[in-house]
Amino acid sequence: MKNKAMRILLLGCVLLIAACGSDSLPPLVATDVEITATMPGGKMSAGYLSLRNNSENAISITRVTSPEFEAVEIHSSFIEDGISKMRRSDELTIAAGNTVTLQRGGLHLMLMRPTGSENDISLNFYSEETFLLTVRTSITPRGN
Amino acid sequence: MDPRKLIIAITLGAALAAGIFVATNMSRPAELKTAFKIPVASELPEFSLIDQSGNTVDSDTFRGQWDLVFFGFTHCPDVCPTTLQLLANVKKELAESGAEKLPRIVLVSVDPERDTPELLGRYVDYFGEGYLGVTGELDEVRKLTAALGIFFEKAPASGDNYGVDHSAAVIVLDEDGVFSALFSAPHVVANYVHDLPILMGDRQ
Repeated sequence: MKNKAMRILLLGCVLLIAACGSDSLPPLVATDVEITATMPGGKMSAGYLSLRNNSENAISITRVTSPEFEAVEIHSSFIEDGISKMRRSDELTIAAGNTVTLQRGGLHLMLMRPTGSENDISLNFYSEETFLLTVRTSITPRGN
Repeated sequence: MDPRKLIIAITLGAALAAGIFVATNMSRPAELKTAFKIPVASELPEFSLIDQSGNTVDSDTFRGQWDLVFFGFTHCPDVCPTTLQLLANVKKELAESGAEKLPRIVLVSVDPERDTPELLGRYVDYFGEGYLGVTGELDEVRKLTAALGIFFEKAPASGDNYGVDHSAAVIVLDEDGVFSALFSAPHVVANYVHDLPILMGDRQ
């Protein structure tokens, strides 16, 4: 009886370990998420985060939405010949096993025309019509 | 070789080496890290703009204090607030280090079409007290930017929004309102905190 109970316990452990294996990692993971406060009088925020692709295929993010903003776009800031420029990117591709970091002065999310809540913000990431990930966060005061 | 010629040659060589040594050391009175000192400092041209309170801004506005002048616009969510926050941190660190002179931080709008004095005021006030926001007629802005070698133009639209490409440099105006130095991007707080006291004469 004791041996049978032990076997069931061991089987349970094996199944748990299998379930926690690398195959079960979500394909896209977001970390270090920051949404800057909209500037006084302004209608723009910026979003910064790291996106890790755990899958074996490249992931292209083509659309980001948020109920808390009228529009969200992927933008890239860069300096070319001493000139600061910002351009919209149609997609953001993350190679298999790689991480892309959206940060100040580089790739970032441009969040336009806030519609309300600053404490509970959802960002929904899509590849074409395929839903990939929802990130929930709140506004980070500027200067932090 | 004639011994006298040898002595003359050695003497001339030593004098040359000493001259090079003195000249090299004299030509760098202060070791700036990244600031570029304008070889022929130039005075500001005539222009007429307004600040966030509606007061006239002209070349006289820039006399009496050192100014760090950045060109940007309020609809810019990434680079402009990041740079203004960085300049605010520079001023804070200079104050904490006991610097005698602290520069005023100035934002000149390269998007005067959308940047009303009221909007610009709320924007610059966010970063601290004593900021100067400058806007006005586009032609008048261009008089100032042309004199300072600052470029700007509207960038491709995104829906009903548009961006403005603009020079990333921060201009240093001295107490006489003269364009005396500039910092190029990337902007780093430590470089400003090192170079500004040298430029402002607090440290030799």
